Amino acid sequence: MPSKASLSLAVLIMLASGYGIVTAWSWPWKAALFPLVIGIPVFCLAAAEALWTLFGTRASEGQASDFQLSRHLPEKEMLRRTAIAIGWMLGFFAAIVLLGFPIALPLFVFLYLKLQGRESWTLSIVFTLVAWGIFYGLFDRLLHLPFPAGWLASWLGLA
Amino acid sequence: MIDALFEGLFLVLQWKALAFMLLGIGLGFWVGLLPGLGGATTLALMLPFIYTMQPVEAFAFLLGMHAVVATTGDITSVLFGVPGEGTSAATILDGHAMAKKGEAGRALGAALASSLVGAIVGAFALALAIPVVRPLVLSFGSPELFMLAIVGIAFIASLSAQGARGMLRGFLAGGLGLLLATVGQDPQAGVARYTLGTLYLWQGLELIPVLVGIFAIPEIIDLVVRGTSIAGTRPSGRISKGAFEGVKDTFRHFGLTIRCSLIGTFIGIMPGMGGAVAQWMAYGHATQSARNAEERKGFGAGDVRGVLGPGAANNSKEGGSLIPTIAFGVPGSTAMAILLGAFFLLGMVPGPDMLSKHLPVTFSMVWTIVLANVITVLACFMFLNRLASLTTVRGQLLIPVILMLVFIGSYTSNNHYGDIVVTLLFGGVGYLMVLGGWPRAPFVLGLVLGKIAENYLYISVARYEAAWLTRPVVLVLIALAIAVIVYPLFQSRRRAAHA
Repeated sequence: MPSKASLSLAVLIMLASGYGIVTAWSWPWKAALFPLVIGIPVFCLAAAEALWTLFGTRASEGQASDFQLSRHLPEKEMLRRTAIAIGWMLGFFAAIVLLGFPIALPLFVFLYLKLQGRESWTLSIVFTLVAWGIFYGLFDRLLHLPFPAGWLASWLGLA
Repeated sequence: MIDALFEGLFLVLQWKALAFMLLGIGLGFWVGLLPGLGGATTLALMLPFIYTMQPVEAFAFLLGMHAVVATTGDITSVLFGVPGEGTSAATILDGHAMAKKGEAGRALGAALASSLVGAIVGAFALALAIPVVRPLVLSFGSPELFMLAIVGIAFIASLSAQGARGMLRGFLAGGLGLLLATVGQDPQAGVARYTLGTLYLWQGLELIPVLVGIFAIPEIIDLVVRGTSIAGTRPSGRISKGAFEGVKDTFRHFGLTIRCSLIGTFIGIMPGMGGAVAQWMAYGHATQSARNAEERKGFGAGDVRGVLGPGAANNSKEGGSLIPTIAFGVPGSTAMAILLGAFFLLGMVPGPDMLSKHLPVTFSMVWTIVLANVITVLACFMFLNRLASLTTVRGQLLIPVILMLVFIGSYTSNNHYGDIVVTLLFGGVGYLMVLGGWPRAPFVLGLVLGKIAENYLYISVARYEAAWLTRPVVLVLIALAIAVIVYPLFQSRRRAAHA
């Protein structure tokens, strides 16, 4: 898994920096100087990392002094739970775009607590009301942040 | 200088700044206590809320929050053997062993008191460093400042991961950050760079959605994957019993506490090393204080000196890491890189101005570190028994709240759905980086320093052409950058040859 992630990142960076170099070539020098000075070494380093991942030995892997993911579960189960987490995040984003923050937020909190957390009806409803209260009180009433209605309301002519 | 010192104190004690500091302390208190939510992540999450604040209020809020995270992180480490923060992992070795022996109160007392001593030593170092670094900073021009940015990235890239492979990834992450900083309209020629035909990217990648994504998303995914309550079973009995003994231990081994605080401060000053390194070096120093082999065996089995060392170091490093951040704009750690983002959001530029025009603001930061730690330690002693129950918050209750903050926080950067897309995309990049063992700190540093570095490089080339490379300080900095890259490689080769 770590080496697959490393290879994916290296290839992604190669593609991004390659695109960056090719695009910058046609710009005036003032605009192209920095992207080229950085982009060319980044492309070479990404290629070195990809080759190292493909042909290097495991012992040569350098661990970062950074946050580490939990690895106490079998790989299949980890993948399943990771997919669930990503699914919830994408679902929340889709709900925000379609319904707007004021509706998507309590809906997400309630569904997450009930379906994913398997919490009781009482706790789920009370927690959702508190979360919505914080959102409405702090962000809407106090900070006056603009949260537009979702696309669905626009399509239906309600906004 | 003295006037500015007291003006800094008065600024922090104004009711609004004080209120924001208390709010920050409250947040940092929880964040430190709860594993799975890092101090740097919370700092990134809170950035959107400082837009309307005055600089003193914003720094009181952010630093007040950040300064106490390591202090309360020690509590979770001692009680549950789970590090509340990455920077409090070393406290587990002897602190949790003491808790298992029924000396949790003593271990917590020692951790909290040594944290307070460490924070005060770090803040003193920051205050004392200001007159020393001032003339140095004022003599730096664009070429020197560009090279400093490069040295900072070289430091953080070479030290935030192990071995040649780790260094390669560090530089790659830093380079990617620098490259992504070029997205948007170029200030010199007006060219729209890498905007993919969208208006949203014309002003470049907004810092907050990127930071929130790269730090918060991997931790949220991990929290879902773990699917458990955060800290497991709660220890029984009153843990406050014996806490005073721990405080006495701090003064019984005061020399060791001060030495470990100085180790933490020094490591904090070195860009890229951070608290994770500081705590282990301090722990290593604490074990050296054993007078014989028998005493040394006690370390790891519940020696209070093994709690005092890391406790002091992981708090003193905050003052230390603020020195290069404020004076040179070179952050010493991930959290400082995010704090550097706060400077720009508030319209302030780290460097000479912070040591002259904005000196009272700089001193207000020193006072914030001291006051925040004093308040936190007092609060911890008052609520020691209740604190333990806070760590049993279930993950499934925490996740919707964190996600709510993540999405609202990133959306409010531009009030644009594009911000959330950026957060999700960089969340994916952050997750791959964590999974692959890549350091994220160099990436953040590259992104934060990218625009400044480009500007300094452009001015240097336009003003001096290639001659900027021959300026004495630039040559010294080039040599330093090379040394930073070569030395760890040389050291690992030597270690391999000895093994």
